[in-house]
Amino acid sequence: MANDRLRALEDTEKEIASVLQCAGNIVLELSKDKPNASFLDRQLVQFQSSVNRVENELSSQIRYLTQVATGQPHEGSTYSARKDCQMALNRAEYAKVKLGELGRTCEVMLEQQQQQQQQQT
Amino acid sequence: MTTQRVLSQSKETLLQNYNKRLKDDIKSILDNLTEIVKTAKIEDETQVSRATQAEQDHYEMHVRAANIVRAGESLMKLVSDLKQFLILNDFPSVNEAINLQNQQLRSLQEECDKKLTSLRDEIAVDLYELEEEYYSSSYSQWDSTDLPLCEAYRRQDSWASPDSSCSSTQGDREDMDGPPSQETNPQHHLNGHGTASIEKP
Repeated sequence: MANDRLRALEDTEKEIASVLQCAGNIVLELSKDKPNASFLDRQLVQFQSSVNRVENELSSQIRYLTQVATGQPHEGSTYSARKDCQMALNRAEYAKVKLGELGRTCEVMLEQQQQQQQQQT
Repeated sequence: MTTQRVLSQSKETLLQNYNKRLKDDIKSILDNLTEIVKTAKIEDETQVSRATQAEQDHYEMHVRAANIVRAGESLMKLVSDLKQFLILNDFPSVNEAINLQNQQLRSLQEECDKKLTSLRDEIAVDLYELEEEYYSSSYSQWDSTDLPLCEAYRRQDSWASPDSSCSSTQGDREDMDGPPSQETNPQHHLNGHGTASIEKP
């Protein structure tokens, strides 16, 4: 049931983490005596693409929100449906309890009958 | 109307704030990394000795790295604020979520009620026999002041329209939720108590 936009924002968070990771790798590689140029290039390309993706995603979310947001609070709720459902489950539970009592009463009666028969024979 | 405009203005400023934060943080990350990479270049000694230059470069890189991390942290906070804003204010998706939840709850309720109704129909037959047995036996504590519900309905209907007692019982069968067998029984024990035709001892 989670929203697509919320999932996209979750992915953006992971993307930001990967941006920082790439930056760290670049600095680490530069600190070595003989930095591996191809590794540096790859990390740099990855860093740039991640930063671009993050920026595009966040600015598109903000644009969507400028179109959609009003100042009003949302006043919808699921209370009525939830209450009806709860009442239905209560009805079922009550029926179960009553049937249980009925069953126990019948069993008790049957036991008494059997005992009486045994006493008579 | 003025209140609405004031509120939407604050939403406008909020969203502009988000935009600004986004731009600043991205710019900060890019600039700081660029500067670190530039500073990593080893140059010949110029005015200060190599050790001093190295020390200065080390400190500068340290600060710039901290800036990058701070900007990343601030971006995470921005994402979290956007999520919160979305949940509260994105009406299309909130409406969709509410509708979905309502549908699920209603279908659960209908299924529950359908099963209860089919259970009632199954039990009605057995319950009829049980009640017949009980109310016509000597163990029953039934007296005219303590009516079963169906009997109460029947009597009420017969007071209202004295000549339609049979049809009202039939009407009760459709109206009531309780076991329909109770409604046919009172005719038996009313006969057993009131008038001559006693069916069972």
